[in-house]
Amino acid sequence: MSGNNIPEIVFIGQPNCGKSTLFNAIAGYKAQTSNFPGTTVAHLHSQVLWKGKVYSIVDLPGTYSLTPQEPQEKVVLTHIFKEKPDLIVNVIDASLLCRSLELTVELLELEYPMVVVLNMMDLAEKKGMKIDIRALEEKLGVPVIKTVATRGEGISELMDRIERTLGQRHRPRHLSYYREVENRIKKLTEMLPEDFPVVSNPRFTAIRAIEAETLSVDKFIAENNPQLKSALEKIREELSALRNAPAYEVLAAERHHLALKIFEDCCRVRHARVSGLEKLDDFIMHPVLGLFLLLLIFAGMFYLIFRVGSPLESWLLQPWESLRSGIHQRYGQSLLAELLVGLVQGIGGGVAIVFPYFIPLLLLMGFLEDIGYLARAGFLMDAFMHRIGLHGKSVPLFILGFGCNVPAIMATRILESRRDRIITALLIPFIPCAARTTIILALLAFLLGPWWALGFYLVNIIVVAVLGAVLTRIFRYSSPGLILEIPELRWPSLKNILQKTFYNLKEFVRFAWPILIAGSVFLSLLSYLHFDRLVNSILAPLVSGLLGLPAELGVTLIFGFLRKELSLLMMFQALGVNFDNLLQAISRAQLLTFVTFVNFFIPCLATLAILWKELGRRIAMISLALNLTLAVLISWLVRLVFSVF
Amino acid sequence: MSEAEKQRIKEASSELKAGVCSLLEVPQGEVFRILEIKGGPGLHRRLLALGFHRGDLVTLDGEALMGGPVLVRNLTTDTRLALGRGIAGKILVEPVKDVGE
Repeated sequence: MSGNNIPEIVFIGQPNCGKSTLFNAIAGYKAQTSNFPGTTVAHLHSQVLWKGKVYSIVDLPGTYSLTPQEPQEKVVLTHIFKEKPDLIVNVIDASLLCRSLELTVELLELEYPMVVVLNMMDLAEKKGMKIDIRALEEKLGVPVIKTVATRGEGISELMDRIERTLGQRHRPRHLSYYREVENRIKKLTEMLPEDFPVVSNPRFTAIRAIEAETLSVDKFIAENNPQLKSALEKIREELSALRNAPAYEVLAAERHHLALKIFEDCCRVRHARVSGLEKLDDFIMHPVLGLFLLLLIFAGMFYLIFRVGSPLESWLLQPWESLRSGIHQRYGQSLLAELLVGLVQGIGGGVAIVFPYFIPLLLLMGFLEDIGYLARAGFLMDAFMHRIGLHGKSVPLFILGFGCNVPAIMATRILESRRDRIITALLIPFIPCAARTTIILALLAFLLGPWWALGFYLVNIIVVAVLGAVLTRIFRYSSPGLILEIPELRWPSLKNILQKTFYNLKEFVRFAWPILIAGSVFLSLLSYLHFDRLVNSILAPLVSGLLGLPAELGVTLIFGFLRKELSLLMMFQALGVNFDNLLQAISRAQLLTFVTFVNFFIPCLATLAILWKELGRRIAMISLALNLTLAVLISWLVRLVFSVF
Repeated sequence: MSEAEKQRIKEASSELKAGVCSLLEVPQGEVFRILEIKGGPGLHRRLLALGFHRGDLVTLDGEALMGGPVLVRNLTTDTRLALGRGIAGKILVEPVKDVGE
């Protein structure tokens, strides 16, 4: 129970049940949302005012069961045990009622006050399902509310019901298993020593203990209480003999059968017509046509970036540019002017990322995510991803990375295994984001020809693939293969997409933008102090020695750390040329070497910061070292290859 | 002991005759019943949590190119999973004659 008198309500549900949408519908934009980084996956905390009372509501990551195997599921269990919520809101995707009830049965075993929410009722109805709410309430012994969170339907009923249930302090009864199974659980319950850490109630604790077979908790029991351990083993054997299956499966099967029974008693399914979306799904999932569509979507995204994003960016940068020259005119080359220019560049740079690239990409990704496409891309690309030691679930993240690395790294949260998360996050900075693509296009396609740019892109993708294969060898662990739920396609709600975009944007604005501005001001200060000459001389062994580039380009790399395109802009300034006569100042090979280096040499500041925040300092540093090493190596190779010709 | 073992071997071989095979070997669109999930407890628990139990009716909905995953629909719980081939190969099924449509 929370220390003060604010009741704590946790939202628990299986992944993709619309739990977060419901949470947002209740918490609204006005709510104070803050991130509590748990282990790796955050959960959201918010305070809500409803009819004069304050409630603390917590949105926990989706979980399929209470036997946690994946990091985000462990967050759920730890939270329930530590915080002892006053009320559980079990959110169910009504269209998947049968499967979802297995978790409900498990949650009922906690015997905490509970409310069940049948969300996505519209989808269930479309599927031809007729759910008898009364019967369901009777079977489960807890209130059941129908909602359509995307349209805000049923929210006020839910809040009223939450209030009433909290007032009643009614604890539900667990549902009973088959008698023989129940007897064995009871036997263990009676054997639990008094000092045994009971969670919620002895029966629940006993079930967890039986299911802990092969999990680390089991070893803990064995070490601390060998007697209990042998009794536990015996009970497991007996259970196992009942069904000729491991004890944990026997218990899971009990819940499965309870869920099936409840479903049959409370829900009638008429045969629904095949919807247009289902026909579309056959096309999307088609092994050949589906891949073709995937390519098309890729191409569409690039089109969006170049045709809409780039012009928009330069248009958005114009006023900031004129502001910059205005500042110089007014204050000359004074310290104040330099600092103001730094500030303007930082803010303007943020604007130029957010509007042309970030918002369109977030909207597009939100659409693909909500309609259910990302899981399907994962399915189609799984075979390719296995070649580099990952599986299909990383595909959507790489797609995101082509737009901007920052949200892509943020989204690695969806990967269950930390190993996959780290590898994916280390690879993402090598994916040419929109800013880098701008450089590749502006310099290579324009000055050397489009084939050079295309070839460069191809080499880049090969580098990512090879690096992935190498990293997989280092972080050795046999991937168990893909297990990915493919949800039904559903028409996305615009409101939901906008809301999601808003939340992601807020995170970027609050986190990455200030760093961008501070970094920019700091660099201006350095250039005012003529730090650039020092930088050039320090970097000379690398820049001119190893890579054979003019030493003046050294300082542009520092700017590239801030934002990749800044390297490009600063290059002209550093060499004292403009776009048209660039090739008089440096050779084609030098240009290629430079672009290669800038492309790989470092994750930009915002990317590095998000890596640090999401995966810790060590991974951020590894990423830094990895990028730097590979950039030097590859650009040196480029120089070598072209010195031959 | 040895009697029981013999019996089990006998049962196992009769299962084989009844068309028991892994999810990798079944044709698309036909209905099968899950007989057994082989493989370690980790995989087994994961599939249980996702609502794939012994006795459930399943059908193969599709597969990806180049040794990619297969798409399996659980008709009992009306859910769909993409399963890597290694995993699908560990799920043993038997054909269901009368679906009772």
